[in-house]
Amino acid sequence: MRTLQGDSAAAVQDALGAEHAAMWAYGLVTAFVGNELKEAVRTATSMHRARRDVTEVLLADAGQTPRPAEPAYVPTTPVTDQAGAVAVLVVAESDATVAWRAVLDRTDDAAVRKTALESLTGSAVQAAKWRRVLGTAPATPSLPGQP
Amino acid sequence: MVSRREVLRLGAVTALSLPVLAACTTPEPPPPPDPLAALAKTARADAAAAEAIAASDPTLAAQASEIAAARTEHAEALQGEVDRERPPTSSSAPAPPDPAAPADPVTALTTALTAAEQEAAALVETLPRHRAGLVGSVAAGCAALREVLA
Repeated sequence: MRTLQGDSAAAVQDALGAEHAAMWAYGLVTAFVGNELKEAVRTATSMHRARRDVTEVLLADAGQTPRPAEPAYVPTTPVTDQAGAVAVLVVAESDATVAWRAVLDRTDDAAVRKTALESLTGSAVQAAKWRRVLGTAPATPSLPGQP
Repeated sequence: MVSRREVLRLGAVTALSLPVLAACTTPEPPPPPDPLAALAKTARADAAAAEAIAASDPTLAAQASEIAAARTEHAEALQGEVDRERPPTSSSAPAPPDPAAPADPVTALTTALTAAEQEAAALVETLPRHRAGLVGSVAAGCAALREVLA
C-alpha cells in the first residue's frame, strides 16, 4: 500500500480540490462557448475527469478519504459571454498548475510525482491554449505553477 | 645512538607529514556534475537559437521572442539552483556561440522545446523535493511554449 505523509497527502488533496473546481468551471462555460470551441472544451473536460479519478485512486490507495467536490463554487469573474467563459478556464487551469506543482514540492513517491508532472504539464498546455483563444500574451508563464 | 628526544621529534614530524602524504596520493574524486547544469545549458542554447530566429524572421519575431525570454528565465532559475547548492569557483558559464537561424525555424523551435521538456521530465522522479518542483515547472513551461507556435 502506498503511504503519503501528512504534507504529501494534504498537497494531493488540494490538487484534487483544484480538479473538482476545474470540472465545475468546464461545466459552467459550456453554455457560453461557440461551436468552434465546444470540442476543445469536451476534450479538456475529459482530461480533468480522468485526472480527478486517478487522484482519487492515489489517495484511496494510501488509505486517505478523497476530498469531495464543494457544494458550490463562485467564478472569479462574471461569465456572460465567451471571453468571460474562457477567462474562467484560464484561472481554473492556472490554479491546477499551482496545486500540482505544490505536490511535486512535497512528495517523494514516484507514482505521485509522475501524476503530478503530467497534470502540471497538461494544465499548463491547456492554459496556454485558452490564452491564445483570448489573444493574451505571453501565452504561458515561464515556470507554470511556480509559487 | 639516537637519543630519546630525537625519537620523539622524529615521531612528531612523521605524524605531521602523514596527512599531507595521504592528501597527495589519494585526491578526492571530483563530485559528479550537477544534472541541473545540463538543463541550464540547454535552456541557454535554446534562448540563443530563439533570439537568432526572432532577429532574422519578422513573421516569427513575437513568438520566438516569447520563447527566448522564457528559456532565459529557465536558464537563470536552474543555474541559480546549481550555484546555490555548489557555489561556483570560476566566473559565470560561457555564453553559447551565436547560432545561425535554421531553414525551418518553427520545426527547429518545436523540436528543441520537446527535447527540453523530455530532458527535464526525465529528471523529476530522481530529484530531491525542492528541485523536483522547479524542474517540473521547466518541463511544463517547455510544453506550454509549443502552443505559442501552434
